[in-house]
Amino acid sequence: MTRYVLNRVALGLVVLVGLAIATFLIIHLVPGDPVRQALGAQAGPEQIEQVRDQLGLNDPLPAQFWQYFSNSATGQFGDSFVQNTPVGDLVGDRIAPTALLIGYGLLVAFLIGVPLAILAALKPNSAVDHAARLVATFSFAMPLFWLGLVLALLFGLELDIFPVSGYETGVGGILKTLTLPAVTIGLALTVIVLRTLRSGLLEVMQSDYIDAARARGLSERRIVAKHAMRNAVMPTLTIMAIQVGFLISSAVVIEQVFQIPGLGSLLVESVERRDYEVVQTLVLLAGATVVFVNIAADILQAALDPRVRLAGR
Amino acid sequence: MSKTYRAVLIALACALLALTVASCGGDDDDSGEDIALTGLQEGATTTGACAGEPVKGGDLVYARQSITENFNSLKIVNGNGDIFANNLIFQGLVRTDPKGSTKIEGAVADKWEVADDGMSYTFHIRPGIKFSNGQPVTAEDVKFSLDRFGDPKINVTLAAVAVGYKGTTIVDDETVRVDLTQPVPAFLYNISIWPGFIVPKDLVEKDEEAFFKDPIGTGPYMVKELKRGSHLTFEPNPNYWEEGKPYLDSLRWDFATDSNSRILALKDGQAQIADGIPFSQVNSLKNSGEFVVQTAQVPYFVGLWFNHKREPLADLNVRQAMQYALNRQEINKSIFHGVGTIPNSVLQQLKYDAPPSEVKPYPFDLEKAKQLMSASKFADGFSISLKYPAGYDYYKQLGLYLQNAWDQIGIKVKLVEADQSTLVDSFYKGDYDMAFPYAQFTSDLPVPDEYAQFVAEPRSGLNGFFSFWKDPEITKMVREFVSNPDEEERAQQWPEIQKALNEQTPWINVMDLPFIIAHAKNVCGTDINALGSDSLENTWIAKAE
Repeated sequence: MTRYVLNRVALGLVVLVGLAIATFLIIHLVPGDPVRQALGAQAGPEQIEQVRDQLGLNDPLPAQFWQYFSNSATGQFGDSFVQNTPVGDLVGDRIAPTALLIGYGLLVAFLIGVPLAILAALKPNSAVDHAARLVATFSFAMPLFWLGLVLALLFGLELDIFPVSGYETGVGGILKTLTLPAVTIGLALTVIVLRTLRSGLLEVMQSDYIDAARARGLSERRIVAKHAMRNAVMPTLTIMAIQVGFLISSAVVIEQVFQIPGLGSLLVESVERRDYEVVQTLVLLAGATVVFVNIAADILQAALDPRVRLAGR
Repeated sequence: MSKTYRAVLIALACALLALTVASCGGDDDDSGEDIALTGLQEGATTTGACAGEPVKGGDLVYARQSITENFNSLKIVNGNGDIFANNLIFQGLVRTDPKGSTKIEGAVADKWEVADDGMSYTFHIRPGIKFSNGQPVTAEDVKFSLDRFGDPKINVTLAAVAVGYKGTTIVDDETVRVDLTQPVPAFLYNISIWPGFIVPKDLVEKDEEAFFKDPIGTGPYMVKELKRGSHLTFEPNPNYWEEGKPYLDSLRWDFATDSNSRILALKDGQAQIADGIPFSQVNSLKNSGEFVVQTAQVPYFVGLWFNHKREPLADLNVRQAMQYALNRQEINKSIFHGVGTIPNSVLQQLKYDAPPSEVKPYPFDLEKAKQLMSASKFADGFSISLKYPAGYDYYKQLGLYLQNAWDQIGIKVKLVEADQSTLVDSFYKGDYDMAFPYAQFTSDLPVPDEYAQFVAEPRSGLNGFFSFWKDPEITKMVREFVSNPDEEERAQQWPEIQKALNEQTPWINVMDLPFIIAHAKNVCGTDINALGSDSLENTWIAKAE
């Protein structure tokens, strides 16, 4: 098991280094100069050169990368040149709304997806089954910003249950302001929970040990909850772990639609201004989250299913 | 699947579609397009709920399109998001009329005299004026602030407005004299905007960074809280010098960069006023009957820049042909929903501009355009690219329109969409054929001096504002204009320059545009100055009737 975990972690680190290199190259090679952008049309070439020198932007790219890499590895993310603020502070200021949004979105997806999946699996090809899958597929297929706007129109403007945009802190404030955005993300994800869990359950429900459980006279509820779910939930967990990337990118879009001051909107602003340090840090953070969640899912799966960890040898 | 289920499914799908389509298209009624434009209002409401005298009190939430990042007037990082916030916190010695005319009036100074030769200005500090923390504004503070304005190492981004600044001398406790190295007739305008704002010397010297986090000025409002990317709350400056102002108890700017979010916040009542109203939404908002849609004439235009290093664009016949080939009535109606003004200048609308009766706009005349093309060195036409900013539906539409219009005179336009950073980068490097360089192209000053020198003064180092166009005749005219202290003569000189530039058409002004805001009917005194900045010290909320 230890060997398996180490294996996964080492692989994750390789991915992160690759991501750091790719992000660095993309943001530095794309046209657009943060200094020029900040100083405007009138700044003379000498002034621009002077600021570029101060920021180390005139050093050779490999030197700049090494600087960035060694700093990042020790947890120093530098200062945002544009905002004149440490990147750590900027991220710290805005991480909570994004984390809450993603967590809440996942919760919504499970709250809607799991019961529907069970219903659908117990009565495959019933009206409930088809309707559930249709609605879920529909909301998945909608562009997120559009789905968000429709929900804001419906529950914000028409029914006046939630505010149409903004963010407030505190439990009440979060429930008030993050519910619509979380439902938007949750609805889009529901189809994944629904479909994977439904097919997992369907398969498991036809297996011999379920027949055996039935033969022993266990109640259907107990069979599903205790015996079938444990096995059926595995593929769902794996797929949800892969979907973390989707969740993070959804947050970028949804934060714009609902004006949530999170990391997603910070990323958009920073890319527009070519705020190198902030963009690099945010992308690395997002990448690290995806890698971490995937490792965690792998380990969880290995813990639940010995076949997985043995195969990893 | 049985037939019944299939029918149920189809019905369900239809219901879902109907629900979503209805709720998003519900109030977009564009049927009144042609007649709708009469109801647009220029300037603040003075009728209905707003007919009476201003009353004190109330909290206002303003949904803003630009985010405020910082309060340092000499380090503007996010354009109008920063500038307009600065305008509420700080003031210069003088300001432009908060109600929107180009008149200069006193702010930190209440009186001033200009030397006959235009080489020095004496300012008298307004008696009893204080910063928001209660400390009096001293001559030392004024000198300190103006010296920062005049130092190109500190005033990096807008050094051009400090042209001719020699130094400030303290005459006595309430009086300073500013000396110039040359007459600068636009000097009062130059010090009226943000680089010239007056700050308390002792506090800035003590800790500049801390000061601009928690700024103190003479403006009508003070910063209560800036929550990055979310909102900015102001409270009234208790020491503000204008009697009784500001009227509001509190003011909050909610940053909503997405125009749909701003409109939704307004309709939902979360905000009572919103800026940056998209052209396509003007009619539906106005027709709803709940909001006032207000326009402000500001120096804002759709500047289409030409690179004169590209041979066809250096040909006057070609440039004029391109002008004549544009049906601006059509563009205004179909793309700008009628809110634009057909320009008679290749620059923004500026003070001293002659009316269209004097300097004629280019009419739509396809025949003339074709004649000019055949008279040019490029009678067989040519291919050229046009770069435009990504993320704006109207630039995309305009690009397609131009492509089609110029195709008729043999010019093949290739459209290239680029994000704003990439676009300005290639613009500043001269790496473009034609470009809309800025999504929102405005002048910093209401007078022509700034842009006239940007485009026609080679010493500015801007190469005809990155067009690489030059015309020694026009340069000579501009030099006379920007150094002539005689106001009346200037008012005659500028229309000559305007006309010459319009004939030369070194680039194209497709359309003059207003700033558009919308607000609830009981929000009054929504004045906007000549540069588009909200004079929120005049804003008040009428009590419900």
